[in-house]
Amino acid sequence: MKLVHAKIAMLITLLLSAIFFTNDFGLIDIEKTAIVTAIAIDQTDDEYSVSMEIAVPESNKLAENKKALLSGKGKTVSGAIRDMGDTSGWYPKLYFCNLIILGQSVAQNNVIKVLDYFAKTLRIQDSATVVLAENTAKELLESTSPLDNISSFALQKILLKNPGFDNDVANIDVKTFCADYYSKNASSLMPKVSIIRQENTDNSNQTTKDESTKTGGNTVFNATKTALFKNGKLVGELNENQTFIYNLIMHPSKETALKVNGVDEAGEKTDYLLTVVDNKRKISLGADRYNLDLNISLNLFCRIADQNSKQSKTTYTENEYMDIKIIKKAEEQLYNDINSLIEVSKTSGCDFLRVNDLLYRYCHKYYPVYKDSYLSVFTPKISVSVSGQK
Amino acid sequence: MKFQLKTRQVCLFFIAFLPVSKLFTMPSIIAGCASEDMWISTLINLLLDLITLSFVLWTCKKTKTDFFGLLELNFGKLGSKIILLLYFFTFFFKALLPINQQKTYVELTLYETLPSFLNFLPFFLVSFFFCCKRIRVLGRVADIFWVITLIGLILIFLLSFTNSDFSAVLPIGAQGFINQSKGAFYSFNWFGDCAYLMFFIGQFQVKKNDCVKVFLSYLIPGLFVVFFMIIFYGVFTSIAFRQIFALTEISKYTIVINNIGRFDYVGIICILASNFFALALPLYFASLTLNKIFNIKPWICSLIVNGLTCFCVLAFAEHFASIEKFLSVYGNALFFITANVLPIITCVLKKENKENEVSAC
Repeated sequence: MKLVHAKIAMLITLLLSAIFFTNDFGLIDIEKTAIVTAIAIDQTDDEYSVSMEIAVPESNKLAENKKALLSGKGKTVSGAIRDMGDTSGWYPKLYFCNLIILGQSVAQNNVIKVLDYFAKTLRIQDSATVVLAENTAKELLESTSPLDNISSFALQKILLKNPGFDNDVANIDVKTFCADYYSKNASSLMPKVSIIRQENTDNSNQTTKDESTKTGGNTVFNATKTALFKNGKLVGELNENQTFIYNLIMHPSKETALKVNGVDEAGEKTDYLLTVVDNKRKISLGADRYNLDLNISLNLFCRIADQNSKQSKTTYTENEYMDIKIIKKAEEQLYNDINSLIEVSKTSGCDFLRVNDLLYRYCHKYYPVYKDSYLSVFTPKISVSVSGQK
Repeated sequence: MKFQLKTRQVCLFFIAFLPVSKLFTMPSIIAGCASEDMWISTLINLLLDLITLSFVLWTCKKTKTDFFGLLELNFGKLGSKIILLLYFFTFFFKALLPINQQKTYVELTLYETLPSFLNFLPFFLVSFFFCCKRIRVLGRVADIFWVITLIGLILIFLLSFTNSDFSAVLPIGAQGFINQSKGAFYSFNWFGDCAYLMFFIGQFQVKKNDCVKVFLSYLIPGLFVVFFMIIFYGVFTSIAFRQIFALTEISKYTIVINNIGRFDYVGIICILASNFFALALPLYFASLTLNKIFNIKPWICSLIVNGLTCFCVLAFAEHFASIEKFLSVYGNALFFITANVLPIITCVLKKENKENEVSAC
């Protein structure tokens, strides 16, 4: 009897092993596959046009990765992806796709019709970055950059910056965009990417020239502007300064550069470049029956990185003494930038400062009173302080 | 009197299996009802369970018989069989949704190509084997899996903690008691673990402070689940109700994951492994009740229960939304009665057993 049991157990083990080990042929040989790195979505009439940039990894380290662009059309985004598969015979795996580019045509309608698919499907990670193209989304994928022959990789270099680089892009992923859309304020934003054509100069460094020739591109991308959305529709944008100040008051921004121009020093205008060592920030809301006060407090600790004055007695390796004139000028500039940021929020109707969330969470008692009028009613109370070595 | 379990094993049983099955689709279901107050709904269920647990532990300490003996003493032979039949249906229905969840989860997230049912079939084979065993198997499995659960939970919590906006759960109680209760009611399928403790009555020796130990080993994982709900809502806020696979999603937005890769899968796979047995638990107790009602061999009971569950998961694969709808109304009422009301009634009505008899399960 024991022998029969042992035989049955052995048979079951063999069957289980067969289940677990027979997928060897299903494994993908990395050198024979291609990876979708970015998806570009445009809208023509009532159809979506989806383009995918595909990187084909090369086994040779010296050879550059090859790239290809495939397109498909459909009434829905998934329909367009299927159409692409039907025409090319290749149904792409999107799991490694980290970038979704929307064309201007998509932004004229409710973009959530497009992005919701990516937030709900498990085919793509909803941590993928989402951006808006200045013109068509496909154009961004077609352009070639000296930074990388695969344009989406070049684009990601300016979008996903490591701590210590300038915090000048309002980066956002699909999940956050959708969460903002479905939140009480229904406001969201994403970087707006434009293409900058660069002139080739003769006196450029030979190595750089070689690199540029190898990758074959002469365009770079700019993502320092930010597109604003209300209920999924494009309602305005933040310029470079406003994007920067938005990042400063909403996110930790260490080692980012702050330009302070026109500091009056003995009758002469001097420009400074400060490094923000630390940004302490707080946004709170105070409400009563008659007033709604938005308190924004920004406290920067900075270090002088560069200046164009006639002479400087210290080296930049040591933290230079920060003159009161620089501090005053920086504070004035930041104060004006925050004011202009609030103005954009009020005029566009996009509550990217999340005032409504603050109202709901911290002043819930007055939520019914102000929920429809809070953007026009709130009074900003801004407190900016800049400090450095004294 | 020979005890099948040790107090340590009962404690580890709750640590290993209480939190894991609650981390998949349950958070999204509660978020759909109670939004930012989803943690309150979870707390309500935890409190209900703790009240029931107190009664059961009190009975564990006082009685010298087991659960089946208690039922017979209180309700007679026929009455006890009817109640056991109720428990059979409870465990059977309780198993359906979580097993289907895990099946869908494994197929969609761990397999690239079109998954076949064969990928999940080993679950039923192991579960069949598990359900044939005596109750001491639960203690042995708990002895091993509590560490695995703990590793998984700690990793997932550490990775998702920094990415959560805790202010998202404010204002506390804004959704109102009705929505909070709805959230609690619709998640009864995943709670009511005290029902398992009923079957442990008389199976372990209750010494001094043992009740406190068991109570704490129920309370702490329960609070872990409540905290998970807060983190979960803090990560997904307004779209929390759509995140049907909370466990995979919650930790992936951390900067470390972006830079290094999805090493959070170490934690996810740990929890999946523990959940494997957590899912088999209702099937185990369904087999046990079937065995007690009809007095048939354990392997036949196990075959019936696992075969029936396997059939349901296969046959209704595309209709689970309807099953979920059905269970959310009728199933949850049954779960509440059998997991919270009946144990308390049984414990309160407790009569003295003169024979000091404990059956070997």
